[in-house]
Parts: sequence; structure tokens; C-alpha cells
Amino acid sequence: MPALLFLMLSLVLLTSLAHAATPETLMRQGHEALAEGRLEDAEAAFRQVPAPVSPTDDDGLYASARMQVARLRIVRKDFDEAVQAARDVLAYYPEHVEAKNLIAAIERDRMPAWLRFFKDCQRFLPSLLSGAGMTLLLVSCIILISPLGGLLIALGRISTIKVLRAPCWFVIWLFRGTPLLLQLFFIYYGLPSLGITLKPLSAALIGLGLNYSAYLAEIIRAGIESIPRGQMEAAKALGMTYGQAMRRVIVPQTYKRLIPPVANEFTALIKDTALVSTISMVELMRAADQMFNTYFNVTAIVLAAVIYLFFTTVFTFLFERIEARVGIYERR
Amino acid sequence: MKGAEMNALVECLNLRKCYGEHAALDDVSFSVSRGEKVVVIGPSGSGKSTLLRAMNFLETIDSGDIRFEGQSVGYRRVKGKLALDGQRNLSVLRTQIGMVFQQFNLFPHMTTLGNVMEGPVTVLGRAKNEARDVAMEMLGKVGMADKAERYPATLSGGQKQRVAIARALAMRPKLMLFDEPTSALDPELVGEVFEAIKNLALEGMTMVIVTHNMGFAREVADTVAFMEAGRILLADPPAKFFGDDCRLPRIRAFLDKIM
Repeated sequence: MPALLFLMLSLVLLTSLAHAATPETLMRQGHEALAEGRLEDAEAAFRQVPAPVSPTDDDGLYASARMQVARLRIVRKDFDEAVQAARDVLAYYPEHVEAKNLIAAIERDRMPAWLRFFKDCQRFLPSLLSGAGMTLLLVSCIILISPLGGLLIALGRISTIKVLRAPCWFVIWLFRGTPLLLQLFFIYYGLPSLGITLKPLSAALIGLGLNYSAYLAEIIRAGIESIPRGQMEAAKALGMTYGQAMRRVIVPQTYKRLIPPVANEFTALIKDTALVSTISMVELMRAADQMFNTYFNVTAIVLAAVIYLFFTTVFTFLFERIEARVGIYERR
Repeated sequence: MKGAEMNALVECLNLRKCYGEHAALDDVSFSVSRGEKVVVIGPSGSGKSTLLRAMNFLETIDSGDIRFEGQSVGYRRVKGKLALDGQRNLSVLRTQIGMVFQQFNLFPHMTTLGNVMEGPVTVLGRAKNEARDVAMEMLGKVGMADKAERYPATLSGGQKQRVAIARALAMRPKLMLFDEPTSALDPELVGEVFEAIKNLALEGMTMVIVTHNMGFAREVADTVAFMEAGRILLADPPAKFFGDDCRLPRIRAFLDKIM
């Protein structure tokens, strides 16, 4: 009887020795089981893959086996075990990206919504804000350039001198008659073939500047023409030259009338700056796009929308204040 | 109308101005001596305003000659046609000719004081302090000194017109042109503007007044001129003009209608 027992024991030992699986065989068994849908067998096999003895004879199998265990636990909705498996990997490979992401994803999933949003903000805001900075820079530059450009074009357009009138008409016709996107493309991608190569920022400023000058020119022209003729006559009767009359009498009276349509244009400008993302400018829209494409996380887009809204709201408010102040003389 | 007398300040010789077929000025000759007050009356569209505006070059003439202090001014001859002079020359001329408009044409974005200072400061290059003193003096003359800081929108029509007169006076012009100065006013506001202009006349200012207000013709005028269809039909001292003996039937009909 003891002999029989010994025989059986040694038989079991022998078979297990014969089956003494190498990490490679265990991995293979695991993947086969996985392929056949035997998830528990697969997990058992992967679990048996031993940890490397020393970093030198590392073949990376332990890490992939543990990650498989983690994924299989996730399928079972056993997130604690999944995290544990990923931590096992990190114990040996502290820089293992996949393990880190898995833990992060699970932790993210378990967070309350507000905390998740807060973390997203923390992650996205730095790039978004630096993009917003560029947007603000573009907007500020155009707000400085385009009223001047617009005024010059408007004055040229109503001038009695034909050589001034024609080119001013042409600029307005061209830049109001084609899409801004096309203009930006032409300036950035088209001009190099004519020997003019521009940096994205210069191209963006030129494109937006000309486009907005053309639009403002028509607004300013309408503003000037809305001032009663008697004003110009009174100025002339005092002995003013055309230039003096424009500078002292006509143009200042247009300010109040110009503010609502110009505010409108500038609000559109804030949003139109998004178009320069197509000529490799990294501004708010582009930053949001990059975040979205990296993390597939719509929060980046939502945050960008919030920043745009913030800008447009502040603008509207500012222009209302300015309008109230400029129009003070119309109060009875 | 003392013809080509030596002390004529302005002479208009054979002025013509056509809008298409319509002759707004049809061979008008006209002169104003220093210190003379001429009141021009006549039906609407008779060319009164065109004549007045031509004297300030706000309206261009097709042919004729405008002389200021004996000199031909305002136009150059280019290939036998008249072309308006450069704006620098016109500017110098206009500083010597004040103009008051029917619609006041005050600058709405400037205060009363700002309106009156604007010409001296911007056109004549006067220092602000100096211009302010002159402006306050002129506003005082028309009784508007206490409204110096008000914007035109807060003033009545009569007050606006008085400020407009002060604005023209601040340039210390040699000639004042009034283009229907009381026509846009409510009847009760005519008096204050009338007074201001009368005071100016008493000071000896040379002036041409286009008006429908017969008060000007009777009380202010040295000469009353009647225009119709681009021509001056008659120019006489008021006593003679309004006297029964010397009226053209056409003028009598006009006077009967408006009085």
C-alpha cells in the first residue's frame, strides 16, 4: 500500500514535471484559451507566468501576462484585482506606460464626475490657455490694424481721386468676395510659389488684417456717408480743408454709429481666428483639436468653447461701455 | 447795390450756374459794399441760396467772376473753363466769410464752446486759451455764454442758431452770409435769432441775408434784392422797395402772398 502510494505520488510528480511549463508555454496556453473563449483557463495560465528573477534575464513576458490578467479582471468588472495586476507590473517596471494608463483609466472611471472634470481641466488647461494667448494676440493685433486699414480704404473709396478709388474698391471687392479660409491658404501656401514665403504668424496677420480692413472699410464708409452733408459744409465754411473736416468733424461723429457693427465684426474675428489653425498656427482651436486627438476627450473641446465664450462676453461688455461713453453728447 | 464802387467788399459779375436745363443763376451781377446789409428775398427755387452759397464756394459757378476786395478769387481758368481753386486758397477765403445755415449745422460732438473755438484753433491755429476768450466773447454777444458747456442736442433751435452765429463770428469775418437763418425755427424762437443778427448789423458787420422773413428786409437791410428764376429782378433800399410807387407787379404778388 505505501508502495502504491509512493508510485502514484511519483507519477503525479513526473507528469507535473513533464508539464513543468516554461513562461513561453504558459503564454501560449493562455492565448489559446483566450482564442477559444475559455477566459478562466486563460487567466489561470497567465497568472502562472513567473516574475523575472533579475532584470537582466527579462523577456517581458511577465509584464504582458499580468496585463492580460488585468484586462481579464476588467472584463469581470473586478477593478480592484485589475489594478493589483497592473501594480504588479509597475513593481518590476516602474515606467510601464500601459500599466500606468490602465490604473489611471480605472481611477478616472471611479472618480465622481466633478473630480474627473477637474482633472481634465488640469490636464488640458495649460495648452488651451497658451493657445488662447495666441488667439488673444491675433485678435489684439487685428483690432489695432484693421480700423486704421479700414479707415484708409474707406477714405480712398469715397475720394474724388480716381487712382485712389479704384484700388480701394478692388481690395474691398476681393477680400469680401472670397472666403477668409481661401485667403489664408493663398497667403501661406500660395505666395511661396511667387517667391514670398511667410511665417504662419505673419501670414495670419496679413490675411486677417486685410480681410477685416476690407469689411471695416465698408462699415466706416457707410458711417461717414451717414453724417449729414451740412456738417461738411459747415466745416468748409469755417475754412477747414477736407482733411481737417474729416479728422475734426466727420470721422469723430461716426464713432458712435460704428461701435455696434464694429463690435459685431470683432466678435466674429475672435471666432474667425480659429481658421488660422489651418495654416499651422497653434491657437485655441488648434490646441483643443490636438488635445482631443490625443485623449479622445471631448472636455478639451468644451473648455475651448468656454474660453471663446469668455472672450466674446468680455468683448460685448466692453463695447457696450465704450458705446455709452462715446455717445454722451447725444443725451438731451 | 452800389455797382463797381471802390469800397465794394464782394462783387459777383455775370454769375451763371445751370443744373441741366435749369438755370439756377442766370447772369447774376451783384455787389456788397463794406458795412452794407443786403437782404435777398424771392420765391423758393429762385436761386437765392445758390447765390449765397456761390459766394462761399460751396456751390460752384459755371461762368462769371467773383471778386473779394477787388481781387478775382476762388477759381482758376483751365482751358477756358472755370475750375475751383485749391482748398488751401479756398480755406483762406472762407476764413474771411462767415456762414450761418438754415439747419444750424452745429458740430454735435462738441460743446457750445467747442463749436465756437473749433475754427480759430483748427483753422487759424490760435492757442486754446486765446480761442476760449474769443469764443466766450462771441457767445456773450449772442447771449449764450451761460450755455458754453452744453452739447447742441440739449439746446433749442433758436439757441443753436445763436451758437452758430457765434461760431462764424469767432473767425472775425469781414462778411457774414445768412442762409434762411430763421426758417427752421419755431415761430416763438425767431425773435431771439433776429435780435442777434440785428445787433450784429448795428455793429456795422457786412452781411447778406437770404430770408423769407420780411422783418429783416424792413429793419436790417440797406438793400433789398428780389430774385426770381435765377435773376435779380430788383434791388432797392427798403423804403423804396416796399413803397407803393415802385413795385413790379410780380414782386407785389409775392409780397402780398407772404405778408
